[in-house]
Amino acid sequence: MTTATLTPRAQQPLRQPPFLIWLGFLGILLVWGLISGIMVFGQGLGVTGLTDQVPWGLWIALDLSAISLGAGAFIFSAIVYLLKIERFQVFARAAVLVGFLGYTSAMLALALDIGRPDRFYFPVIYPNVHSVLWEITMCVIFYFAVLAAELAPVVLGSQFFSRWPQAKQIGHTIHRFTPILAVFGLGLSLLHQSSLGATYGVVAARPLWFKPSLPVMFILSAVAGGTAATILGSLIVSRLRGKYVVDRKVISQAAIIGGSSLALYLYIKIWDWATTQYYAGTAAVEEGISLLQATTPYGFTYWTFEVLLGGLIPLIIFFWARSRKDDFALMLGCLLTIVGVVFLRWNVTVSGLIVPLDWSPGEAFLFARNFYAPTLPELGAFFGIIAYALAGFTLAVTFLPIYEEDHSDHHDDADHAPVEVVRPPAEPATG
Amino acid sequence: MIMKPEKPLDNPANDELVTDIDRRAALKLMTAAGIATAVAATLTVPFNNEQAVKASAPQDAARGDSPHNWIMIIDLQKCIGCQYCIFACQAVNDVADDMQWNVYLPEVTATGETFHMTRPCLHCRSAPCTDVCPTSATYQRADGLVIMDYDRCIGCRYCQVACPYDVRRFNWTNRRNEERVNTLQPEWGSPEIERRARGVIEKCSFCVQRIDRAYQTGQTPGEDRGVTPACVNICPVGARKFGDLNDETSEVARIVANTPTFRLREELGTEPNVYYVPAEGMIAT
Repeated sequence: MTTATLTPRAQQPLRQPPFLIWLGFLGILLVWGLISGIMVFGQGLGVTGLTDQVPWGLWIALDLSAISLGAGAFIFSAIVYLLKIERFQVFARAAVLVGFLGYTSAMLALALDIGRPDRFYFPVIYPNVHSVLWEITMCVIFYFAVLAAELAPVVLGSQFFSRWPQAKQIGHTIHRFTPILAVFGLGLSLLHQSSLGATYGVVAARPLWFKPSLPVMFILSAVAGGTAATILGSLIVSRLRGKYVVDRKVISQAAIIGGSSLALYLYIKIWDWATTQYYAGTAAVEEGISLLQATTPYGFTYWTFEVLLGGLIPLIIFFWARSRKDDFALMLGCLLTIVGVVFLRWNVTVSGLIVPLDWSPGEAFLFARNFYAPTLPELGAFFGIIAYALAGFTLAVTFLPIYEEDHSDHHDDADHAPVEVVRPPAEPATG
Repeated sequence: MIMKPEKPLDNPANDELVTDIDRRAALKLMTAAGIATAVAATLTVPFNNEQAVKASAPQDAARGDSPHNWIMIIDLQKCIGCQYCIFACQAVNDVADDMQWNVYLPEVTATGETFHMTRPCLHCRSAPCTDVCPTSATYQRADGLVIMDYDRCIGCRYCQVACPYDVRRFNWTNRRNEERVNTLQPEWGSPEIERRARGVIEKCSFCVQRIDRAYQTGQTPGEDRGVTPACVNICPVGARKFGDLNDETSEVARIVANTPTFRLREELGTEPNVYYVPAEGMIAT
């Protein structure tokens, strides 16, 4: 059998107008992002709205959000390869894809955001083990390698590589280390997903940040957000193809896993609010919060996007059987979870920096708040990177066997001779 | 390490044999590779590490022990708000107008009396910025100076976020163009250090180039003008003093011992090396 011919399935989408319009839309955003990136590399970070008082902004929020939305990969890899609950296998593969795209998006954002991208590897050769950011850098580097190794068998098992039987063989060899990779991934993710919150939590100079709840809230919301992103992607693909690419029961179970993490996150969040703002609170925190509420929409975005829309409503959708079983309700719940995850990171980043540092012993310069508004190049890079992730997901689920029952992944080890893969005939595409 | 029989992989007949050996052998290989990497890294670090090279340089009190602890005293009763310290600093260290290392605030006390507040880098003994730097590009020397290594900074700006005193300045743009010529030179001083590149953090260094010269020439910072920070030299009213807190005979040590002084935001535990003499009407802690 000749395997070099593309199946209709792989060719078809490129002839579909909606598919092309979607890719064209993403292409425009990518071009905007590319222009912005060239501006940043050419003229420096002066083209952003960042200042010495607000040195972190939109890109850091994007960076943290992208990493947190990739958290489904470590949770579901652990579920499949350590707990051996194999019905999650296809879903875990989708989560790994989302994770890979999330982490590469974060790396793109960071490459723009650091002043000297040519020195990106310096944390490796000049380590400062006291720095939480160093720990994150190392974890992200190692975890990126884990994700790449987890994704490699899928890429090597694709149509494109089927002309080289060795590719599948290599992929299979890599795949057999997946349990080890899952252990590493679990450890690394538990470290850096929470350390991203600790990045803020350890800064004693910023009263709104300096608390031990941030690392916990970051990892719990990341598990919820990562699960939600994977469910959302899987359901959209399912609706477009007119068949469930992941067993619908598995999706519902994943929703309960993500929802549980969301519930824990909200529980910590409510106590975080109660202990730092309601029952008690230092003068510095109270002054900071009242400044934010007087001059920014912080109070509104906190209660509306972080707590209500991004927390309570998706929680109900995930745990109420009727809404969980309804595709569109579940998609809405996942979207709202993602909104909540992103707003948590945006609000934490910006709120801590907007409140000015009060270092003078005098009284005259208290409470002039700092300003930050993203500029066009910042927005361009932001949307460009999001477009990269969406385009990556679209193309990967179209051309890679992400959502296909596995051919190479059986646990009897003898069964991995180079096999000719006969793909099922194409599904009629549903717009 | 030989881990597979030398048979072509694509022969299905060999597969079972290949797989059996594969897992164990590959585990061994991974372990061996790990150990090899660790050994290689250990061997390479001393040669790659600038730190090791630096410590051996005699004039640099950077990483070894130092008998000194350089501190600055700013007398808020004496300061008249002329801002000469800021101008001299900008000229000597070639600092741009919008990136001043020293800043000035016309301030009032809680009782409504005006005073003049200036602030260099406080060179904290327990500096939050050095803790958070992922590359040790900013570090504390044994003589107390918190220093930037511009060649190691990646521009992540975490130090800027972590500093409680807003002392750190980022090079948002390239300064090598005409509109950013330093207008304070040569009237207020001549540049003693290179301009910093785009994309790195900079901050007050206590004029580290002068302190290092003191180690070479045997002079005393705070007493010999050539090795004293520019802001201290230029102050027309002697509001800024510099010296060695560990030297009990130094003026600064006597002032700290005998006069009420305070440091900025001591409750954060940063242990700044800049002491302030409180202004009239200000309660010294």
